[in-house]
Amino acid sequence: MAWRVGIDIGGTFTDFAALDPLSGRLVVHKQLTTPHDPSAAVIAGLPVLMQKAGAEISDVGTIVHGTTLVTNALIERRGAKTAMICTEGFADVLDIAKERRYDMYDLRIGYPEPLIERAMRIEVSERIGPSGEVVEALDRGQVRERLQRLAQEREIEAIAVCLLNAYVNDAHERDAAIVAGEVLPDVSISRSADIFPFMREYERWTTTTMNAFTQPMLSRYLDRLEAGLGELGFAGGLFIMTSSGGTVTVETARRYPVRLLESGPAAGVHFAARLGETSRIADLLAYDMGGTTAKGALVRDMTPLHRYEMEVARVHEFKLGSGLPAKIPVIDLIEIGAGGGSLAEIDARGVVKVGPRSAGADPGPVCYGLGGSAPTLTDANLSLGYLSADFFLGGEMALDASAATKAIGREIAEPLDVDALRAAWGIHETINEDVARAFRNHASERGFDYRRSTMVAFGGSGPIHALRVAHKLLVPRVVFPAGAGVASAIGMLISPLSFEVLRSDLVELEALQPAAIDQGFAKLVDEAADAFGGTDVRRADLTVSRALDMRYRGQGYDIEVTMPSDLTGAALIEALPRLFADAYEGVFSKSFPDRPIDIVAWKSTVSGPRPTDSTDFAFDRGAADQARKGVRAAYFPAAGGFVETPVYDRLALKPGDSFAGPALVEERESTCVIGVGDRVEIDGHGNLIASIAVAEGTLAA
Amino acid sequence: MSRAPIDAVSLGIMWDRLIAITDEILTAIVRTAFSVGVREAWDLACVMFDAKGRSIAQASLSMPAFIGTAPLTMRHMLARHPVETLKPGDVLVTNDPWLGTGHTPDICVARPVFRDGRVVGFVMTITHLPDIGGAGLAIGNPDLYHEGLILPVCKLVEAGTFNPLLRDILANNVRVVDEVFGDIDANVAGTEVGARLVGEFMDEYGIDSLQPLADAIIAQSEGAMRRELAAIPDGTYRREMAIETVTEALDLACAVTVEGDRIALDFAGTGPAAPVAINVPFCYTRSFASYAVKCLTTPSIPNNDGTLQPISISAPEGCILAATKPSPTGGRHTVGWFIVPLVMSCLADVLPARVQADSGMATLMLVTARRSDGREMATQYFLSGGLGAMDGHDGRAAVPFPTNNAVVPSEVWERETGMRVLYRRMLPDTGGPGQFRGGTGQEASLVNTSGMPVDVSIFGLRTKFPARGFLAGAPGAAREFAINGVAIPPKGRHTLAQGDTLTIREAGGGGYGDPKLRAVEAVAADVASGAVSVARALSDYGVTVDPATGLGVRG
Repeated sequence: MAWRVGIDIGGTFTDFAALDPLSGRLVVHKQLTTPHDPSAAVIAGLPVLMQKAGAEISDVGTIVHGTTLVTNALIERRGAKTAMICTEGFADVLDIAKERRYDMYDLRIGYPEPLIERAMRIEVSERIGPSGEVVEALDRGQVRERLQRLAQEREIEAIAVCLLNAYVNDAHERDAAIVAGEVLPDVSISRSADIFPFMREYERWTTTTMNAFTQPMLSRYLDRLEAGLGELGFAGGLFIMTSSGGTVTVETARRYPVRLLESGPAAGVHFAARLGETSRIADLLAYDMGGTTAKGALVRDMTPLHRYEMEVARVHEFKLGSGLPAKIPVIDLIEIGAGGGSLAEIDARGVVKVGPRSAGADPGPVCYGLGGSAPTLTDANLSLGYLSADFFLGGEMALDASAATKAIGREIAEPLDVDALRAAWGIHETINEDVARAFRNHASERGFDYRRSTMVAFGGSGPIHALRVAHKLLVPRVVFPAGAGVASAIGMLISPLSFEVLRSDLVELEALQPAAIDQGFAKLVDEAADAFGGTDVRRADLTVSRALDMRYRGQGYDIEVTMPSDLTGAALIEALPRLFADAYEGVFSKSFPDRPIDIVAWKSTVSGPRPTDSTDFAFDRGAADQARKGVRAAYFPAAGGFVETPVYDRLALKPGDSFAGPALVEERESTCVIGVGDRVEIDGHGNLIASIAVAEGTLAA
Repeated sequence: MSRAPIDAVSLGIMWDRLIAITDEILTAIVRTAFSVGVREAWDLACVMFDAKGRSIAQASLSMPAFIGTAPLTMRHMLARHPVETLKPGDVLVTNDPWLGTGHTPDICVARPVFRDGRVVGFVMTITHLPDIGGAGLAIGNPDLYHEGLILPVCKLVEAGTFNPLLRDILANNVRVVDEVFGDIDANVAGTEVGARLVGEFMDEYGIDSLQPLADAIIAQSEGAMRRELAAIPDGTYRREMAIETVTEALDLACAVTVEGDRIALDFAGTGPAAPVAINVPFCYTRSFASYAVKCLTTPSIPNNDGTLQPISISAPEGCILAATKPSPTGGRHTVGWFIVPLVMSCLADVLPARVQADSGMATLMLVTARRSDGREMATQYFLSGGLGAMDGHDGRAAVPFPTNNAVVPSEVWERETGMRVLYRRMLPDTGGPGQFRGGTGQEASLVNTSGMPVDVSIFGLRTKFPARGFLAGAPGAAREFAINGVAIPPKGRHTLAQGDTLTIREAGGGGYGDPKLRAVEAVAADVASGAVSVARALSDYGVTVDPATGLGVRG
């Protein structure tokens, strides 16, 4: 039986997970990331992983791979020399952008530069009207001439074709792309109506420029990766993780690199959702915190909430509005500039502020001893006894606790006139409050009542903070999954093939004909199914889901309405007003039965079969048989300060084990901090489940 | 069991929590409100007060104008309904322009937060309603009575029950009843969420009063503001600024007096109220004046009663910045926005590193038509000019100031109106030259291809008096409006017949510092991006740029 392997490239580590679907045995491995050529770590780590598994690389049937290459290229502006062809009169759309200020008081806020400089943008005569009618034919000769002229002056490696209203009729974009291909045969071309056929030119075109900008580099990377894996003897299928929690073929990834943004965090959320499903938890908060950022997501009814816009490469303190918008199907992530490396400082108010500036990996926290002198969250967590000075990364890296405490004393405690321990606690708790705040706002915007849900915590720093954050949110239960240190890699290998296609097309509901609704969806489904070309998935095994964005005529707010799978044609049209009213009431608690309704956008997701039915994996255990490793002093305000706290070895805990906090549960990549009064139990799947005692005043500040 | 005193560690954590609560209230309203203004443009605010009615926290994305007016509104509400007369489940309301935000569409809703039978604080939310009756927002409204229904301070909800008479009166006076009630209900529900969250916060930290926390927040903020003010040299700094009403010029005057750690802003010398709907109730003047001081001194400190303490603001009654009833105020922003650059210019010489040169500001246009099937079309078009430059910072093109709003995508606009956008372009040479350049304006041209006559009601400004440059920086270009190439008055209503073309040229921002000191490479980059022409690079900046190589030399 063929192994499935998930490989996630992160900033510091490349994570590997291999699953034998037959036995459920799961083997994991971590390898240092190789930034100069990320495929090097993949090629080096795969044989080690399979050796641990006791299997051959030729036994691997499927590799699912997630890469931050596209995100990094956008942040670092390392991409192709890209030109843009756009409608006459609209070349400045990329500069005019959203017009909005995203901070009311800071007069010096920065905005991201467009990916394509002004001189690389060509305007061409053509116009499609808002209903798809041709107002002015495309002047092909002009396209040819202007592109040739630009190509004589400047090197062009990629082209973004961005025409007004192309989302409703892409004939001119197709023609312009053909001409461009004739003029520059070796250049990769992205068209806005192909990348994301949605109304709103700035967002659609910006997304298209990202695709064009990153395409040549991603393509070269995938070439190297395929060649390298082939040399190792890998003969199975390679698939690439996308932002939406599904995987695509290498060919689809080459065509739509922009859909690979944030695929690692998306895979982690997918893992949390599937874990919830196995443990029968319908609603949960996924909380992942690493070295520089924390990510969160909401899972409702076992499905992660999704959306169709994210922001990339923020230029101003991680602030929403300071990045470039990417319109792609994506898991609805919360991003917080908070992680182990977050720097603590005193802000203009004279109180503690942590992040979003980060010490990064170099010099890193003070306790790393690599030259950092500014205290970070990790320094605070070490001072408080949550981290062990000699068991960081399983003991690979010794930490200097006294240097950490000294730095906190010097930079925070003395100026604030408090003792160093109090300052360390302030740093730790500030992050708890920041993370809780981000979850609250995100949940509130989406009408998600977090108070009765469950949190799933993972990542290097997440388990240290999860219980305090959960306390603040009145979330009664936190799950620390087995395999939390490689959650994204596991999420990848359990992701199905999946592709979503969508299109803006405004239709008045009363004018909609049965044949039109069926044809409208059939076209989308065909297009989505095309992404499965070259795989062994049979058309009959594909799952299709359909949805419409609808709104009351004249109201600016669209609501996504999922179509029941058994309804088509006239019956579906007849059901639409009720379906919309129900969805509307879910948001507004009321509806308006007499109001006319518009359909705004059409969506279809096509998915292949799930690779596994459960997340009930058998992990290779460590050698330790003694779960309780010892005690160390750790700080718990509810216990009155530093107390001798039992330390447990995560890998030696067995199903059914249970104990009460305060306690520390260590594994190689992270530590779960269990507070006073909280209870912990190991469930039958090997997950660590913490129950919280919610009582008045338990969170003394 | 209140813990006192509060140290810096607790203060930071608990202060941020109060802000988080106001943020959550705001997002709850945005999610449930009906009007596009609230949903898309975030035309709303949330402020939290202590039991004495002193503001202590505000939602981060609140409209600055409302943040400034809300504390006064709270004071008026408590004067009318003293705290000891309030019951759990009461909700107070007003939209009186003089007690609220300066014009009738903004509704202010406040709820006392009870704990063990005592008021521990208040939560107020403010949103711009889609309609409030009368003749709507129009420049030509001759008096306040045309501007719709006015609710005095009263109980919108009494002990949990919506006042039925008030509901009836509203329903009989507004156009889009469902939307209006939808937004009002969102405010009421938002304040309820706020009251619950304050309760949860107090449970979590085991406190039974917000007072020690409120005192600490206010003291800390006031201290920070006073330290900043003390660093400004003492003195009185005066400026006057001409602005346009409809066709005439009007002077705004301001004297800023800094004395130790206090600052006073007096608008004596400002011209009289006008017979059109651009008059500013003093509450709005006060709000933007303190906004300007805040941006200049403590931009990163959240607003509260403490930051406002050392600031005093005055204007003679009857001037356009302290207009009296029944002056019409619907377009009060077209005058009130200028308070910010006026205050900045007063302080340009003593705070050169902090001030921002005048911005081009923005154009708001209400667009209405009756479709052939009888349905009404009513929408807004929004276009912004360039930002003013600052020391070390070029002004960004096409960004509104001091208001905020989001772009209307051409594809959305064409779809909604049937009108065609011919082009939207940056306007070269419109940003005021300076060592740091003002933001460029933009030009949009709209053709009526809808097949119906379309009315446009324009609140245009900066057509006669462009954005001023600071510290030897030059002014930006003025705004222009034209129909079929013929200039039209900037404020007023016009009908576009089929085929008519409306062209708007947005104003540029003012420059900062002597243009001759601008770095040669920066001028060359401006030419490459199209912000500055080769000819003006030479005449304004003294830099010769070779278009072939893109390189520039001074002289």
